[in-house]
Amino acid sequence: MPDRSPEILPEDPIKNRSFAFPLLIGSLLLILTVAWSFYVEFYGLQPWRRYQSRFAKAYSEYLGKDIKRQKQDETDVYSSPEYKQLAASLASAQQTAKVQDDEIAKQIELLDDQRAAMADAFKDERGKIGHLVYQYEIVPDSDKSAKAKALKELNEGRSSTWKVDWPTGNGQVEKNKVFTADQLNDTFTSIMAQRAALVAKRGEVDKPAKDIQADLTKYVSDHLPGLSSASLDGLRRSMEDFDERIIQINVNPTGASINNLGGAGLVDRCESCHVGTDPKYVPPQVALTKADLGMAKSNNAPFSSHPDLDLIQWHPLEKFGCSPCHGGNGRAIDSVQRGHGRYPHWLWPMYYPENYQAGCQQCHSGDMVTEHAPVLNEGKQLYRQRGCIGCHRFQGFDNQDEQLVNARQQILQLAKTKSDDLLTIPRLQKQADAAPDNATADKLNSQATNLTVEISRMDARSESLEQQTHNLLQEIKKVGPDLKEARQKLRKEWIPYWIGHTTEFRPTTKMPQFRLSQDETQALAAFVWQSGLTSPPLEHQAPGNAAHGKQLFEERGCLACHSMGEGSSTVGGTFAANLSRVGEKENYDYVVRWVHDPRQRTRPYCPYEKRDLGPEDYAKHNLPYVFDLDHSRCPNDGHELVVQQPTVMPSLRLSMDDTRDIATYLMAQKRPDASYASADYMDDPQLAAKGKDLARHYGCAGCHELSGLEDEGRIGTELTNEGSKPIERLDFALWTEDAKRGVFPDGKSSPRGPWYDAKGFFEQKLRNPAVYDQGKYHANPMDALRMPKPNLYGDGDVEALVSMLLGSTDPTLPPEYMYRPADRRRYIQEGWWVVTKYNCIGCHQIDVGQKSVMQTLPYYEGENKANLPPVLTTEGARVNPEWLRQFLANPSLSTTDTNRNGVRQYLQARMPTFYLSNDEIRKLVLFFQAMSSQPDPFIPPKVKPLDDSERAMARALFTSPAAPCLKCHMTGNEAHDKNAIAPNFLLAHDRLQPAWTERWIIDPAKIIPGTAMPSGLFRMEGDHWVFSGPVPASVQHYQGDQADLLVRYMFSLTPQEQAALVGKTPTSTGGGTKPSGGAGGGK
Amino acid sequence: MKTKLFNLALAAALAIAITGCGKKEDTNEQPVANSNAKKVIDTSTVGSVTGSVTLDGKPAPIKPINMSAEPYCLKAHPNPVIPPEVVVNDKGDLANVVVYVKDGLADYNFDTPKEPVVLNQQGCMYDPHIIALMAGQTFEVKNDDQTTHNIHPMPKDNREWNKSQPPGASPIDETFGRAELAIPVKCNVHPWMKSYIFVFKNPYYAVTSKDGKFTLKDLPPGTYTIEAWQEKYGVLDQTVTIGAKESKPLTFTFKTAAASGD
Repeated sequence: MPDRSPEILPEDPIKNRSFAFPLLIGSLLLILTVAWSFYVEFYGLQPWRRYQSRFAKAYSEYLGKDIKRQKQDETDVYSSPEYKQLAASLASAQQTAKVQDDEIAKQIELLDDQRAAMADAFKDERGKIGHLVYQYEIVPDSDKSAKAKALKELNEGRSSTWKVDWPTGNGQVEKNKVFTADQLNDTFTSIMAQRAALVAKRGEVDKPAKDIQADLTKYVSDHLPGLSSASLDGLRRSMEDFDERIIQINVNPTGASINNLGGAGLVDRCESCHVGTDPKYVPPQVALTKADLGMAKSNNAPFSSHPDLDLIQWHPLEKFGCSPCHGGNGRAIDSVQRGHGRYPHWLWPMYYPENYQAGCQQCHSGDMVTEHAPVLNEGKQLYRQRGCIGCHRFQGFDNQDEQLVNARQQILQLAKTKSDDLLTIPRLQKQADAAPDNATADKLNSQATNLTVEISRMDARSESLEQQTHNLLQEIKKVGPDLKEARQKLRKEWIPYWIGHTTEFRPTTKMPQFRLSQDETQALAAFVWQSGLTSPPLEHQAPGNAAHGKQLFEERGCLACHSMGEGSSTVGGTFAANLSRVGEKENYDYVVRWVHDPRQRTRPYCPYEKRDLGPEDYAKHNLPYVFDLDHSRCPNDGHELVVQQPTVMPSLRLSMDDTRDIATYLMAQKRPDASYASADYMDDPQLAAKGKDLARHYGCAGCHELSGLEDEGRIGTELTNEGSKPIERLDFALWTEDAKRGVFPDGKSSPRGPWYDAKGFFEQKLRNPAVYDQGKYHANPMDALRMPKPNLYGDGDVEALVSMLLGSTDPTLPPEYMYRPADRRRYIQEGWWVVTKYNCIGCHQIDVGQKSVMQTLPYYEGENKANLPPVLTTEGARVNPEWLRQFLANPSLSTTDTNRNGVRQYLQARMPTFYLSNDEIRKLVLFFQAMSSQPDPFIPPKVKPLDDSERAMARALFTSPAAPCLKCHMTGNEAHDKNAIAPNFLLAHDRLQPAWTERWIIDPAKIIPGTAMPSGLFRMEGDHWVFSGPVPASVQHYQGDQADLLVRYMFSLTPQEQAALVGKTPTSTGGGTKPSGGAGGGK
Repeated sequence: MKTKLFNLALAAALAIAITGCGKKEDTNEQPVANSNAKKVIDTSTVGSVTGSVTLDGKPAPIKPINMSAEPYCLKAHPNPVIPPEVVVNDKGDLANVVVYVKDGLADYNFDTPKEPVVLNQQGCMYDPHIIALMAGQTFEVKNDDQTTHNIHPMPKDNREWNKSQPPGASPIDETFGRAELAIPVKCNVHPWMKSYIFVFKNPYYAVTSKDGKFTLKDLPPGTYTIEAWQEKYGVLDQTVTIGAKESKPLTFTFKTAAASGD
C-alpha cells in the first residue's frame, strides 16, 4: 500500500487564521454600542423617567399614609353623634315620606298609563276635528248653505265616539270605554293637571328629607375637608401603574401667532420631571411639599405642587405652562441644565428664586401693583422713587412730560395754522370781490367763511389742549426738589458739600452718587446757586414754638412719608426725605413757606417764553402778582404756566402759627457740630456756565427743575424691553472673561458660577455702575459712563430692580395674554399708579392684608390706634363716589374753615390736599369703586323715606341708652365734639351708601377690625335686626328692622333735627351746663 | 418617699409623652414641640415670694374725671372721681401694681383655672382697674350700669375685639390665647374708662392690694427675674433665688418724678 500521505498544502491564510477574537471583540463592541445607545436613548437622555418613577413611588407611599388618616377621620365623622343623629333623622324622614311617596308614584303611574292608553284615540280625534274645523272655516260666509253643511259635519264629528281600553288601576282595564271628542279633550287636560299637582305634592313630601340630606352633606364636607379616601385611593392606584411618558403642554396652540410658529410657539415639557405640579396627579386639595414625600432635605426632588395655588388658579397650567412665567427652555428634557435654559445661546434662562417675580412683568407691565408679586412691586416703586425714571424712559411709567411736549407742539401748530388762515381770509375775500362772475365770487366767499369757522374750531381744540396742559402740569412730579428755589431755600456752603457727600449727609437719600471731580462739584454748585431765583424775596417769619411743632409733626402724620432720627433710632416712612439734619441746610423762612404750601413757587415759569415770570410781567397787564391753579395763564401769551412746584408733597392746610411751630422744630434738627467751609467760588459766573454744561451732561434735569434746562429730555437708554437685549449689546466692558469664569469685579467668586448674562450685568450695574469703566481708557473724561450709583439698600433693593428689568422683555406670548383688563380691573390697575404716586398707603390701609406706614409707627401702638387715619378697604362700597370726588379735591369740605379734616375733625392726623388733577381724582374714585366691586356709573340707591310714626320711633331710639350713637359721633356742639371720635351723621346722606351703613352698624369689626365702633349693638330676632339693649316703649312693637330704620333716619337727618336731638340727649343736657347750642349743630 | 414621688413624676411624664405621641399620630400635624414632655412641678419643694410695693415721693395730683357727658355716671358719684392711675395710701403702699415672673421659669405645664376673672362696669368705672389672668382663662365682663358700654381691648399679640354691652345684657365671656402684658382696655363711649389686662402663661403673678402687698405662691426653686409694673411709673425688676421650700421677701420701690429728681 503506498503510503499516500495527504498533500500538505501551504497554509491557507483564510482558512487557518482565526478571526474569532477580533470578531468577538467587534461584536462585543457592537453589542455594547447598541446597548449604550439604547441606554442613552431611553435612560441617559430621559432623566425624566427616573424622576417619574421616583415620584410615583414616593407619592404613592405618601398617599397610602394619607388614605389611612383620611379613613380614620371618616370613621370618626361617621361615628360622631352629630352625624349619626343627622343620618337617623334622614332615614326617618325618608321613611315617613316613603308611604306617601309610594302612593303618589302609584297615582302618577296610573295617570301615565291612562294617557298612553288614550294617546291614539286622542291623536285621531285631534286630527279629525282639526280637519273639520278647517273645512268649515274655508267656506266663505256668503255661501250660507255650504257653511251650514260644514257646521253640521263638524258637530257630527264632535259627537262621534272613540273606544279606549281604559286602565282603572290595580291592573284592571275597562274594555272599550267610549269617549266623545269633548270628553277626550277634557280627560287629557284633567290628566295633565292631576299629574302636575301630584309632582308638586311629591316635592313637598320629600322636602324634609332633602333638607336633612343637604345638612348632612354640609356636615360631612365641613368635617372632612380635602379629598375622600376613595379619591385618594384612586390617585394612589394611578401612581401604581404610572405610565412613564413625556408630559407636554402646548401653550396657546390655537391662538394668535406671535412668531409665525403657530400659537405662542411654546411647548412646555416641564411637568415631565415636575410631576407634582400636574393637577391631574396632585389635585389642589393635596398641595404636596417635599417634606410630605420625605425629601425635605433633597436638592433633587422637583415634585412639590406649585407653592402659590392662587397663582395657578388664575394662570391655569394648560393655558400658560411653566416657561412663559419662569423662563427656561420648556422643550428640552434631556438634562436639568437644558430644561432650565441655563446654557449659552439660550436667550431666556430660568429666573433664579430671587427674581421669580420677573416672570410676572411680561404680561403685567401695565401694573404698578401686581397681586402676589411684592418683589416686582418693590422694584417698580424703586424705579420711580429712586429716580431711575428721571433718566430712563419706561413705557407706562409717568410720561406726562412727553404728553405735555406733545400737547404744546399741537398748540403751537394750531396757532401757526390759525395765523396762516387769518391771512388767507382777506385774500380770498379780495379775490371774491374781483371775481368775474357771481358763481366764482360765491365760491371764494364761502371758502373764506369756512375758514373762519375752522378757526373757531381750532380755538376750541386749542382751549381743550390748554386744559389738558393744565392737568398735565399738575401731574408732573420730579423726584428731586426744584432747584430754581435753591438759593432761597438752601444754605450756600452746604450745596457743594451735599453734591460730593450725599449719602454721608443723608444715608437714605434718593439722590444717587455721581462720580464727580472736585472741580465738577464746584461748578455744579455754582450753577445751582447762580441760577437760583432771588426775587421776590421770601416773607420774613417770626420764630415759632419748637415743642408744639414737634407734637404737630408727630400728630399730623408727617411720619407717614418722612422719617426722623439717624441710624437705628430712625422712625417713619421711606417715601420722602429723612429730616434729621434738615436744620443744617435750609433757610427758616423758606421752610415756613414750604410746610404751609409746598407747591408754592417764587416765580411761575412760562414754557413759551422759556423764562420765569416776575411781578413786572403782571404789572404790565395791570394784574396782581397772583399765580396758582386758578390763575394759571400767562399774562403775556395766555398759555398755561407752571404755577406749582413739581412735588408730590401735599398741603396740610395748617394755620400760619402751626406752620411756624413745625418749621421751628425742623430747623432745630441738626448736628450740634455742623459746619461747612465757605464757598466764594460759587459766585464765579464762568464756573456757573461750566456747571450748566455739566448739569446737562449728567442729566440733572431728569430729577430737578433747573433754570435753562427745562426742556431737557431723559439722557439714559429706554428700559422698557431691557430684559430682551441680546447679551452682546450689554457692555460688560473689561469683565467679559471674568463674568464667563464666574469671578466678580471685586475678585470674589460668584456663588452661582458664571454671571455672563443679563442678571449678572444688571446686578453689577446697579451695585456700582463704575465697574464698567474700570481700567478703560477715555480720551475725553466726559466719555466715561455717566450713570450714578443708585442709593439702594442691600441686595433686596438690587434684586427687586433686577427682577423688574429681567422681566421687561419683548413679548414672547401673544397679545391676549397681556394683562390689559377691559372691565373694572382696569380701574384698579390705573388707580394703583396714583395711589403709589402720592403714597396714600403711608396713612391708609387700602387693600386687605396690606399695612399702612402709620399702622407700624410706635406712636400708634395700643390706645393710640384709635387716632389712625381710616382704613379704606371698603371705601368704594362705603361712600358715594360723587362725594368722594369732592372730598379728594378739598378734604376740609369747606372753603373757609380749611384748617381741619372735613369728616373726622377729631383726628389729629390730617388728610392733606393733594391738588390732584381731575384725571387723577377720576382714577382714584373709580379705583375705590372697583376695589369694592361697585358698578360704574354710580346710581344712588333710593332710601325709603320715614313716615311720621317711624320718625318718632327713630328719634326715640337715637336718644335711648341702647343706642349711644351721639356720645361718640360729632354733633356740631363744640363742647361735645371735643370728645367725639366719630363723624357727624349730617354727612351720611351725601357721603355714605345705605347698604354699607347698615352692614357697618350691625357688625363694624367685620369691615374694619379694631375700629372704635363696637359690635353687638344689634341682635337678630326672627328675620330682622333689633337693638340688643333696652329700647323705648314706643319702639317695642315695631315689626320692622331697627337697623334699617336707624339708617333711614340717619340719611334723612337735617341740621334742625340734629339740633333737636342734641337738645334731648343726655349728652349735652347733662353736666349741668346748658349746651351752647343745638344751634351749633348747623355749622 | 422621695423615690416614690420621683416615680410618680416619671410616670406622669411618660403618660404625657405617650398621649402626646398618640395625638401626633392622630392628626399627623401636631407641632414637633408638643411631643416634648413639659416639666412637672414637684410640689414638695416649692417656695414663694412675698413682698410689698411702695412709692417714694408724693404723686403728682391727677385731674378728676369729668363725667358730665354721661348724667347716669355723674349721678352715681356724689364726689369727683380721681382716675386710679396711682393708688397709694398714706404710708406709701402702692396698689394696682402687677408683679410677675419675667424670666427664669422653666417650661412647665400649667392648668388653666376654671373660674373666670370678672371685670365689672360700675358707675362708669372698671372694677378692678387692673386685671391679671392666665391664657385661656375666661374673662367675664359685666355691666351693672344703666347705660350702654363697649369693651374694647387693644392687644398686640392677641385678637382685638370691641363689643357693645347694653344695660341688663348678659355678661360677655372672652379668652386671651397668648401671653401679653398691659393690654389697654377702654370704653369708646366713656373715654375715661381705662383698664389694663395682663395675660400670663403661668400662675406666678399678683396684683398688689390696697396695702401694697403681693405673694407669688408655689414657685419651684430657682433664680427668677421678678418684674413690677405700674401704670404711670413703668417697670422695675429684681432677681431672686429661691431654694426648696423657701419663702423670700421682696420689696419694690417706685419713685415719683419729684423723688427721683432729688
